[in-house]
Amino acid sequence: MDNQTLINCLKDKLVGFDIQYSESNDSVTIEVNKTNIVEICKILKSESSLLFNMLIDVCAIDYLAYGDADWKTLDATNTGFSRAVKKTIIPDPDEHYDEKRFGIFYQLLSIENNIRLSISTFTGSDNPPTIDSVNGIWNSANWFEREAFDLMGIQFKGHPDLRRILTDYGFIGHPFRKDFPTNGNLEVIYDEDQEKVIYKPVSITTRPGVPRIIRKDK
Amino acid sequence: MGLNQDKDLIDDQGPGFVVTSIDKLVNWAKSGSVWPVTFGLACCAIEMMHSGASRYDTDRFGVVYRPSPRQSDVMIVAGTLVNKMAPALRKVYDQMPEPKWVISMGSCANGGGYYHHSYSVVRGCDQIIPVDIYVPGCPPTAEALINGIIELKNKIKKEESIIRG
Repeated sequence: MDNQTLINCLKDKLVGFDIQYSESNDSVTIEVNKTNIVEICKILKSESSLLFNMLIDVCAIDYLAYGDADWKTLDATNTGFSRAVKKTIIPDPDEHYDEKRFGIFYQLLSIENNIRLSISTFTGSDNPPTIDSVNGIWNSANWFEREAFDLMGIQFKGHPDLRRILTDYGFIGHPFRKDFPTNGNLEVIYDEDQEKVIYKPVSITTRPGVPRIIRKDK
Repeated sequence: MGLNQDKDLIDDQGPGFVVTSIDKLVNWAKSGSVWPVTFGLACCAIEMMHSGASRYDTDRFGVVYRPSPRQSDVMIVAGTLVNKMAPALRKVYDQMPEPKWVISMGSCANGGGYYHHSYSVVRGCDQIIPVDIYVPGCPPTAEALINGIIELKNKIKKEESIIRG
């Protein structure tokens, strides 16, 4: 099935939903509203001409301060990089609710029909950002959604066991959010007196995460 | 006064022949059977496996990898130590019987390395346990690790376990 046929088939089966269809890099992406993600996924899995019965991946992207770079090397001189530093201003997330701040992306595979599909959806207008869990449709969503919750703080409603999966026990914050400091808030050290590993505030400061590059082509 | 003179005499002559000879024997035995506890954390562990496998064969130095800290003399921290692993590393170190040594292998274990500015990585395993030998590299080659093991053996040979200063 080629991409245009797939898009026509999807348009046929997903009537009544607000969906944007796009085709790029030989793959089809649909952008759906987060409120009907579960209904759409149910149709995609059960419809006999689609049969997307395998969920490859669920991931999330934080679009806060998207496109801003700490180093503006184009108008920098050849010496003295510090003059080129423009500190990225991270908007305060508590005041700044962007309904498109977090993108959540699903990659689907239909083994029977040998087709793939990407679904993209956005959340972020509420705090914490929420979306319905697709764990009831594909069991593989369980750990993917736990990871997205752990690193991005997205609440998946209806998830049976939404715990942290990667970060330390008792970790505070969601490290992949753009407003999380790269070197964290705590570090560990062994305390000789208490004879155990303890936490203390981090001892280093953040620095620009973008490499210092002089572009020769301009 | 007399006591002080005797003490000076001993200091001048150094400890007796028997004591130093026993020390040498003990150190020869210790340095000839440095059994590491396998604490592979990341890609450095692959190089550690190479050094233990047939091509480099650390068995010829009496370095035999043990699965339990209770049977080990040295801990090779091979890889990135993260905050979540730190209490476990300390627990394994505490389970090793004395005398014990630590080899820190690779930039990550030496000082955080590539992940120095990360939110989840310990900036050097010497924050958690005392380290004897630091092996630089990312990852260090098997030869570099073997060099570190030989340096550790040289260090053990200089130790004075009978005479305690």
